[in-house]
Amino acid sequence: MTALAADPYADVAPRGRFLLGLNPLAKLAAPIPAMIVLVFVRDLVTPLALIALAYAVLFVGARITPRLVLLLLVAVPAAVAALGFGMAVWTDASRVDQSVTVLTLGPWTLYGGAVMIGLATALRLAAIIALALIAGLTTTGPDLVRASVQQLRVPYRVGYTALAAFRFVPRFGHELDVIRQAHRVRGAHGGRGPFAAVARWWGYIVPLLAGAIRHAERVALAMDSRAFGAHPDRTERHLVPWRTRDTAFTALFAAVSLGILWFLFPWSPT
Amino acid sequence: MGNRADDTATGAPVVQVESVAITHDGETTAAPADASFTVHRGEVVLLLGPSGSGKSTLALSLNGLIPHAIPARITGAVRIGGMDAAATPVATLSTTVGMVFQDPDAQLVTGTLLDEVAFGPENLRLPVDVVLARAEDALRRVGLWERRAENPDRLSGGGRQRLAIACALAMGSPVLVLDEPTANLDPAGIEEVYATLADVVAAGDRAIVLIEHNLDQAVGLTDRVVALDARGRTVADGTTEEVLRDRADELHALGVWLPVSTLAALALREAGWRIDTLPLTPDQLRAAVEAIDAPPAPRQARGPEEAPRQARGPEEAPRQARGPEGAISVRDLSVSRGRARILHGIDLDVRPGEFVAIVGANGAGKTTLLQAIAGVIPLPRGHVSVAGVDPARTDLRSLSRRIGFVFQNPEHQFIAHTVFDELAHGLRLQRLPEEEVEERAREVLTRFGLESRADVHPFLLSGGQKRRLSVGTALVAGAPILALDEPTFGQDRARADELLRLLQELNEAGTTVIVVTHDMQLVTDYAERTIVLDGGRIAADAATGDVFADAALLRRAGLRLPPLRQALQGSRHPSLAGVTRLADLPAPQPDARAARPAEAAP
Repeated sequence: MTALAADPYADVAPRGRFLLGLNPLAKLAAPIPAMIVLVFVRDLVTPLALIALAYAVLFVGARITPRLVLLLLVAVPAAVAALGFGMAVWTDASRVDQSVTVLTLGPWTLYGGAVMIGLATALRLAAIIALALIAGLTTTGPDLVRASVQQLRVPYRVGYTALAAFRFVPRFGHELDVIRQAHRVRGAHGGRGPFAAVARWWGYIVPLLAGAIRHAERVALAMDSRAFGAHPDRTERHLVPWRTRDTAFTALFAAVSLGILWFLFPWSPT
Repeated sequence: MGNRADDTATGAPVVQVESVAITHDGETTAAPADASFTVHRGEVVLLLGPSGSGKSTLALSLNGLIPHAIPARITGAVRIGGMDAAATPVATLSTTVGMVFQDPDAQLVTGTLLDEVAFGPENLRLPVDVVLARAEDALRRVGLWERRAENPDRLSGGGRQRLAIACALAMGSPVLVLDEPTANLDPAGIEEVYATLADVVAAGDRAIVLIEHNLDQAVGLTDRVVALDARGRTVADGTTEEVLRDRADELHALGVWLPVSTLAALALREAGWRIDTLPLTPDQLRAAVEAIDAPPAPRQARGPEEAPRQARGPEEAPRQARGPEGAISVRDLSVSRGRARILHGIDLDVRPGEFVAIVGANGAGKTTLLQAIAGVIPLPRGHVSVAGVDPARTDLRSLSRRIGFVFQNPEHQFIAHTVFDELAHGLRLQRLPEEEVEERAREVLTRFGLESRADVHPFLLSGGQKRRLSVGTALVAGAPILALDEPTFGQDRARADELLRLLQELNEAGTTVIVVTHDMQLVTDYAERTIVLDGGRIAADAATGDVFADAALLRRAGLRLPPLRQALQGSRHPSLAGVTRLADLPAPQPDARAARPAEAAP
């Protein structure tokens, strides 16, 4: 056996799906310049171009599942439409371009300028989300923790404890359900309205916390018994290296997104 | 102490506990107070002691969690492989002592079985190939290698506890300490864990220190027994036979739980049976009674003060009938959660004053059925009648006068800041005048032994007090029916018994008791009627004795025979063949002691 024995049971990324083989940190870092720029642009074309870029990367590099397709082609456009319309209605009509009238309902008029502003806002949000999905849809929690420990030098005690804490979430969800049932059966804080609701939730906190603390203590004892935190580092079975392709991906993605900005230059006076 | 080389030559013990007393921070009395024992390589040691003797505390000191993770004062010495446990880091001790705890969920850290088993060796900075070799070996030993890529959440309770054993094995430690490893499991899970432990013992490479209340299964694996008294002083230390057989009476008097088979044999001796060697397992009990003849029939009836509780047959009228108000009737009840149908067309009737147990494997729908009856979950109208009303159409105030529901964890249902208000809440909900609230709440406090704790926050009560308070709150509004979900889950035997005696008193006073449980001992000892659920349908509904006479049915439903039934089923003695619980054994005879063999004398 060689010292470099790789883990034969580790998940192997399917060929051709290049995003799965990239370092999670590369996938997180590459879209950051574009995301920052999106906060400041006001036009329609720039977010559309960046959404197209993110979608192209996802469709080429991610595992295509029905869920992915539904999310990208149905959920995101639907959210843009709903959010865009909401924003358009909400925008102060006296401060927008009133040259085009889209809709008139009695005394209320929806102007083309308001629709443009609403759509632009919704598209910017959608673009930021689409860029975040590049990492979000192709990275697992454990890999992100491993990469953070290996490249960012996050202490492993913090990273792996956070990972263990993820397991608490469904447990607490279940426990909260039971507590709510129990309190309802006892007739605790009956009544409607926001004040009764606040009082009700307050009543759930003590039993939930008591259970959570006890559980956390037990998990901590079990981890201690298995030598967690004993040494300054631990064996990493799954190496998540930063390879040349990660640098290439980050640089290329940043270059393309900046190129789009350069070409469109959304701040020039039109 | 001797050098380390001796250890491997089976010379020096791997665990050496000398006059250990442990006082938790904030406590004044030490428990254990004076524990001493040793464990050699490959030995299986069962640690017994009554509730409160500090068994679990002692277990935590064996790998240094006490005092390193849990502050406590230790006197005496705990030596693990020659190292002083109080002065050695837990991580170093973890390579000598591996731990398995009671709650399988609280021992999981990662997302796959393989990662979980590798977690410990990775922490020890072992090379990757060694980590993998150990993980594979450990998973194969517990029979989970084929499932290595799965999420631990997908395993059953028994499976997760086997995984915890694999994790301890992978640490490579020559000693495993298991603290109540089966207390949270259903009967099938307990059987799984013991089959796994038997394999580990058979391999002979690990010493095991076992704390367990499920003795009938544990004793079969055990080489030695160490018994502590109520204060945690070692009172017995020897081979299983020496301790459990020869000193059974003494240990029983100390409050140490003994195997049911041994207790049964002691009771049979009292009844004049000439059992020479006390049996420890169901198989031994069976062999012992089959080899001898039954004593002549008793000449007198059972003395009134010694009369154990007799099973009331369904045909007998309950002692104190409460009329139709204590009755439950369910007709063609189906309940779905999401798309899954959990209950399919359930029909059942409970008469006032009955003590009914609902049993079945995990996921059979037991809790759902109980919650539907008690109106805890929404249910379709017109299928359930509780004390004359339909829970689906009844408001909470009227329902709480008819049925009280006790959740598995009493803390979940506490809503007030003092014990008194906890009880008064249910009465105020009935819009009673404040004087009557006060009077009735005090009455319940006295009845449940909580008078002195009236002003305490419910969360600060002891475990047993919390449980009693939860029963009190369920009954305070005057409900004639009490429904309990897994009331003994995760509790030790003594506390479970205390609760069951309380339920029995309530039942004798006329309260209908309906309980969901995995605890076959509880069912056979207390419930007069048992309902077996299997896959959301009623697989059996009959007197407890009859249900437990059908071994094939029980196995199909994921249940197991209680130890006594296992031993005596099909016995050639007609007086024993139908016995399911200790109380049903033949009555003691006045001259039985004289007839008792002299073998048991010290």
